[in-house]
Amino acid sequence: MFKKILLATTGSPASFGAARVAFDMAKRYGSEVTIFHVVGVPTKAFSHVVNDVRTGEEVEIDDEYLSWVEEELKTTFAKQFAGADNAKIVLKTGVPSREVLREARKEDSDLIIMAASSGENVTFHKGYPGSTLQKVAKAARCPVLSVHRESASYWGGFSNILFGTDFSKQAESAFKFALSTARELDCDLTIFHALDISGKVLDQNEIEENLLVARKRTRETYVPLMGDFKNYDIEVWEGTPYVELVKLAREKSIDLICLAHHTSELDPERARIGSTVEQVILRANCPVVSVSKPDKV
Amino acid sequence: MSKKILIIDDDQDIRSYLGDLFTDNGYETVMAEDGSVAMDIVESEKPDLITLDLEMPGEWGPRFYRKLSQNDELKRTPVIVISGLQANKYAIPKAIATLTKPFDAEELIKIVKETIG
Repeated sequence: MFKKILLATTGSPASFGAARVAFDMAKRYGSEVTIFHVVGVPTKAFSHVVNDVRTGEEVEIDDEYLSWVEEELKTTFAKQFAGADNAKIVLKTGVPSREVLREARKEDSDLIIMAASSGENVTFHKGYPGSTLQKVAKAARCPVLSVHRESASYWGGFSNILFGTDFSKQAESAFKFALSTARELDCDLTIFHALDISGKVLDQNEIEENLLVARKRTRETYVPLMGDFKNYDIEVWEGTPYVELVKLAREKSIDLICLAHHTSELDPERARIGSTVEQVILRANCPVVSVSKPDKV
Repeated sequence: MSKKILIIDDDQDIRSYLGDLFTDNGYETVMAEDGSVAMDIVESEKPDLITLDLEMPGEWGPRFYRKLSQNDELKRTPVIVISGLQANKYAIPKAIATLTKPFDAEELIKIVKETIG
């Protein structure tokens, strides 16, 4: 299930949480981890001169520079490398999102792990996932696991999964991933639907009627797919979906949130991950995996 | 009868230091080097307070805390997180306190005294 993990990292402190989770999974589940770093963006096509992703300075890429970057990464993650037998570093130049996707395709990765943003822009860091995550999550064939807050990486393995559903087509793939992970790792699984009442004033009977309908729909949709898997709970209540997801995860000590990458924007160039997933990634106290395609679930 | 404190930490030096610190202040101590063995010790020893590290080789602190909080008899045992990890105060929000290594021994004893006497 997690045989091949691609850890996409800038090597900056913003990615330490993602790295902690990736290396821990390698040790715990015997995964092979590729630490993937895009050194810089070429100033012209195929140029040896690139803009370094960390400093923005123009640098000439040669073997000496690449070995220096590799050494830097090994030093940065020295503690994690110490116990990881199955880790390798791959360096590339190019546009980060494109290169991450290319490497994941080449390696046939089962999971991409990355931080939500490089953390360079504080305002952006608080409110939005970065553009690289946006583009990778949108196009990746495999699930993308993201760790934003440092404290979200302090679990060590998965045993309590929260799957949030909006009953969309994409949610089917996310559910399959959540269920197969729960089966394989012997986890508890909570299936949750938040009835979105943000900005509405509804009669309480109407809210509770809608909750009954949603609970019935949740059961009818997901229980038949679980076969002999019995370690599940179904929770349905009203609120703002991202707030309720984060609260439920905190209250139940969830260590992995699984959501469908969902957006109503059909233009792939403009489509974002979906505001609920974005906000959960930024706020959750555990890793969040977004699934958009059925290939690797 | 003296109160009992369970120290959960994979670092032998930290366990010894905390053990001496609590013993010198009149508390009884028990030790666990990992979250996976700690639950059995909690059930058999019924400590009055637990100090908990976050990152350990097997079972990490938050997962131990989840198990503890699912046990009706033990879920109210006060927990103090003592860890070297950054942003650790968010890892276990229901802990009564979170201290970052290197921590102030006097501050720790003050919190313990306020909590269990």
